[in-house]
Amino acid sequence: MARRVAVCAVAQTEFVSNMWHKRFQQMCFETVESIVKQTGVDWNEETGIRNIVTCSDDVFDARTISDNGITDAVGAHFRGEEKTAQDGINAIAYAMACIMSGHDDVALVVGHTKESQAESRNMCVNLAFDPFYCRDLGLDFEKGAALQARAYALKSGISETQLAKAVVNARRNAAKNPLANARELVTVEQVMNSPMLCDPIRALHAYPVSDGAVAMLLAAEDKYKEYTDKPVWLTGWSNCMDSYFFGDRDLASNFSLKKAAAAACKMAGVSDAKGAFDVVEINDAYAYQLAMWAEGIGLCDENKGGEWIESGILETGKINPSGGMLAGNPIMIGGLARAAEAVIQLRGEAGERQVAGAKRAVAQGTTGPAGQHQAVMILEN
Amino acid sequence: MAKYFDVSVEDIFNTMEARFRVEGAKGVNAVLAYDISGDGGGKWLVEVRDDSVKVSKTDDLSGFSVKTAADAETFVGVNIGKIDGTQAFMSGKIKIEGDMALVAASAKMFTRYSLPKKSAVTVQGIFDTLLARFQPQNAAGLDIAVGYDITGDGGGQWTAVIKDGKCSLETGLRDNCAVVNIVKAKDYIDLILGKLDPMVAIGAGRLKLKGDMNIAMQLPKIFAKFEPPKEEDEQELIVIKRNISVDMKYSTGPVMGKFFEGLIEKKIFANKCPKCGRMQVPPREVCAECRCWAGDMIEVGPDGTITLIEIIYYSSPDPLTGETRETPYAQVHILLDGIGTEETFWHLLKNEDLADTQNGDRVRPVWNDKRVGSVHDIVHFKKIRD
Amino acid sequence: MKKHKKNRNVAIIGIGQTHHSSHREDVNQPEMIHEAVELALKDAGIGIEDVDALVHGNMELFEMVHQPDLWHVIGTGGYGKACYRVTTGGTTGATIVGVGDNIVASGLHDIVMIIGFEKQQEGHTTGGITNMADPLWARNLQTGALTGATAAKTIKEFGEDRAKRAAMRLRVTLDKHAALNPHAHRSFGLDYDQIDDLMANSPQLVGELRLIHMCSQSDGAVAIILACEEKAKKISKKPVWIRDHVTVHREETFNMFGINENQEVTHHNAARKLFGRNGITNPREYFDVFEMYDPSSWWGLDWLREFLQLEGDEHLKMVENDEVSINGSFPLNPSGGVISTNPIGATAALRVAEAALQVRGDAGAHQIPREVKHALASGFGGTFWTVLFMLEKDLDWQEAE
Repeated sequence: MARRVAVCAVAQTEFVSNMWHKRFQQMCFETVESIVKQTGVDWNEETGIRNIVTCSDDVFDARTISDNGITDAVGAHFRGEEKTAQDGINAIAYAMACIMSGHDDVALVVGHTKESQAESRNMCVNLAFDPFYCRDLGLDFEKGAALQARAYALKSGISETQLAKAVVNARRNAAKNPLANARELVTVEQVMNSPMLCDPIRALHAYPVSDGAVAMLLAAEDKYKEYTDKPVWLTGWSNCMDSYFFGDRDLASNFSLKKAAAAACKMAGVSDAKGAFDVVEINDAYAYQLAMWAEGIGLCDENKGGEWIESGILETGKINPSGGMLAGNPIMIGGLARAAEAVIQLRGEAGERQVAGAKRAVAQGTTGPAGQHQAVMILEN
Repeated sequence: MAKYFDVSVEDIFNTMEARFRVEGAKGVNAVLAYDISGDGGGKWLVEVRDDSVKVSKTDDLSGFSVKTAADAETFVGVNIGKIDGTQAFMSGKIKIEGDMALVAASAKMFTRYSLPKKSAVTVQGIFDTLLARFQPQNAAGLDIAVGYDITGDGGGQWTAVIKDGKCSLETGLRDNCAVVNIVKAKDYIDLILGKLDPMVAIGAGRLKLKGDMNIAMQLPKIFAKFEPPKEEDEQELIVIKRNISVDMKYSTGPVMGKFFEGLIEKKIFANKCPKCGRMQVPPREVCAECRCWAGDMIEVGPDGTITLIEIIYYSSPDPLTGETRETPYAQVHILLDGIGTEETFWHLLKNEDLADTQNGDRVRPVWNDKRVGSVHDIVHFKKIRD
Repeated sequence: MKKHKKNRNVAIIGIGQTHHSSHREDVNQPEMIHEAVELALKDAGIGIEDVDALVHGNMELFEMVHQPDLWHVIGTGGYGKACYRVTTGGTTGATIVGVGDNIVASGLHDIVMIIGFEKQQEGHTTGGITNMADPLWARNLQTGALTGATAAKTIKEFGEDRAKRAAMRLRVTLDKHAALNPHAHRSFGLDYDQIDDLMANSPQLVGELRLIHMCSQSDGAVAIILACEEKAKKISKKPVWIRDHVTVHREETFNMFGINENQEVTHHNAARKLFGRNGITNPREYFDVFEMYDPSSWWGLDWLREFLQLEGDEHLKMVENDEVSINGSFPLNPSGGVISTNPIGATAALRVAEAALQVRGDAGAHQIPREVKHALASGFGGTFWTVLFMLEKDLDWQEAE
């Protein structure tokens, strides 16, 4: 059996819509500095950090080899560094694998994105589509989400009110999270009357343009004590890729999320996701995704995502206590931020938004249009 | 004439004027010389003057802007795409003298030579399909023989016998033909393909009809139009060209920001690591070695000493502007005064100084009159000459 | 630096590489990748259904596709599977083999396929590399990965004629190797009697870095299948074991290729760590072959010294005495190396793949004419980053540990 892996610390910048006063190098460095302060970890090659797993994107950073610009800031000078170019929750998983494999005892994870740097995030992600057909159709992740939102609404019958309640919940929780971006409270009416962005997605259904960075320190079960007395164990993990062309996919089926969730639950020994988690962090970049991804993870029955939103579960504060992606994390590190909140909750350090007695959490990350690539991580204290 | 891949060197040059692309030669004023050795070779001059071209075979190649020397096979092979030009050049099979950039530019000035297409349609091919093209409903009541005397290369003699709404074909001419078409093979093919008007052909005496003209006039109804077989060309693979750009706005932050502010005031700031004292210019937020914040700013230079000159002969397009610099030019790594012993500053050297500047020489920045906080606030560094 | 015990052993069980060329306009990106994937599966004798996870890597700005693994899934076979995407510049190919090594060793996945590719032709490579420079400063100055600094340094140290001659001799040797490799993008048919001519007449790019010294820009893809020990032994008759790998990056420097002679080079640092923790005291003797990421002949020459921890002019002598030729005592890049074939996102993976083929004895015409038990393969990228791999024919090294 491979060694168990613990998260020893997390650090995040505040998430804002335009961090104009800092280069992303500085954003990364501040999170790394915080990790060092929290844990006392160093870069001793025998005992400290010798491998760093980063997460960033060449197109958003407008740099070939985006990690090249941050090697100094993340402490990678004469150390190992590997960049995951998909949602940062996969960076945690890869860092975990590095420790499980025996290759490393300690691993640092650092992810960053400055969505504000580009004139339009939609122009950046338009480039994820094939240059022959879909790109010229004008597809981007927002348009993909709109197609999926409609497909999901037709299949499940989710209502405008239910969608609005997802946003209301996000803001209510974000108001208690000092690092969240969109923290102003909104009402159901405000959401329902907000202008249409990309039918059926309204302006308040979409996550705000966001900048931020997240870091995390992982250690093997025989090493974590040097860095923390509140380890959070990574007990379940999987990710899964759906097909590419929207016409090949059943957009409302949750194909890749169901597979990823099932595998993660199996690894963690969770037989039924329903009721299994004290804290749930869903990567809801758009309001419908809170309901749809909840179904995909197995938190509620098929087509019952809308009813689940109104079931009172949101009022418990267990669902996206951070405010979720809807409260504003940038693309690439949405899932990483979800896992960060799970760790904070399981360490009992969430302050006003703390879920009492949290023992087990699930965090989700998505990459690509309409949740093409899905990742699910289970964490326990 | 020696041919390589079915093409002679002459073929390439003889078609060059026809292959000239005015839009690809805008602003070009050059003489391209070609010295082609081996069987079928020779010397040619190609004069390109903006929107015109003149190709001439000559013995005197003097006065060229660029000269390309190659053996005939390599030359033809590269021109028709059978031999990789770069490969031939790198292995020494093509030698280029003079302005090498013109060779690359010439690819835009001329369309590629393509082999003349051989007609896939033959007289035999036309008669092979004759019975299938027979239209019995238009031949009711006819009992005739129609003769074809197709002369010249690829020709032959045939007789179509039409009787009882049926048609049969024989080789050779029957004596009792109602009408005989007499025509050269090439003209016959053009007639059938619709490239040659029958009345024009008759008027010019290229098509002779012996016998009953009226029957001849009915033939297009009796036999349906010949459809030439589809030419089995290689599929032309489409390549989509796009220029992709997303506007960006880059924060400079407090450390880089201070550096750019300094440039506006003609000052160069480095940052200093509070732990090891190492200085960096342009400054970076962090000392990679000590892994600590390094925000102390210290003015250095602006004069310095060159530690390395890189003379660039191959210029890549500036990814920010798409413009390509003229070559050669020099990049210099400069140890600015007060910086310590390691961290060099990277910039350009004044072109006029290229010839006599060496490692160890002293240099000084030439400031742009209009400074906005960018790399261009310094035009370049120039050698200090005392 | 101490070595940790691997959770379980990992072997290379399948290798597939496409035909490489400067123009693969006959296929689009997913189609090109699919060629490599099919060949790797065939080589391993398994189906895509046997593969548990994929790792994909390349450089986005070379083709201007954001996270291309999403689109490429139609060619990779990743549908319904765990998929990772990790990229680190020129080192990408080696990094993704390292990712495969780690995720198989971790126990998360039993059989993993790594896919490296690049279609250099679809973008402007030198411009793409230049885009790695900081947009605020060096992007206006940099000329891709072209630098004459190493040539200048080598000339300064060993004299002009000897240095130039050694670099060109290495160039010709590797061209001869490339001629033996049907997958190589290019070989010019160079011979040693052309050395003087090439030294004088090959066009200069930057300083004494000449066109003939510099690597190609290629289109191509490679897929490598890795398996855990249990499955590797079942599936493969000739598994090649990944003994260890190490990654060493360094800070971004604004003067990307400026010389700082006082600092250890990452290649030296990586080799020192890898050899040290695996008890390799004489790498020149231990390794039967070295597939090095050699973007230019000047670098290839200089880096022999760094990787092999040599002193003085030993590395020049190795080239001058033809020790590095395929028939020599320390064959370097029998495949022809990066100088002949360079689809950047795949290039470093090709080094590992070619080293593994040598260990298997399956390299065909460019097979080293003696048994290969221990192989070394390197990746290079970023601002002097290194990934270094050790491959083994037998699992016997573990008895010593």
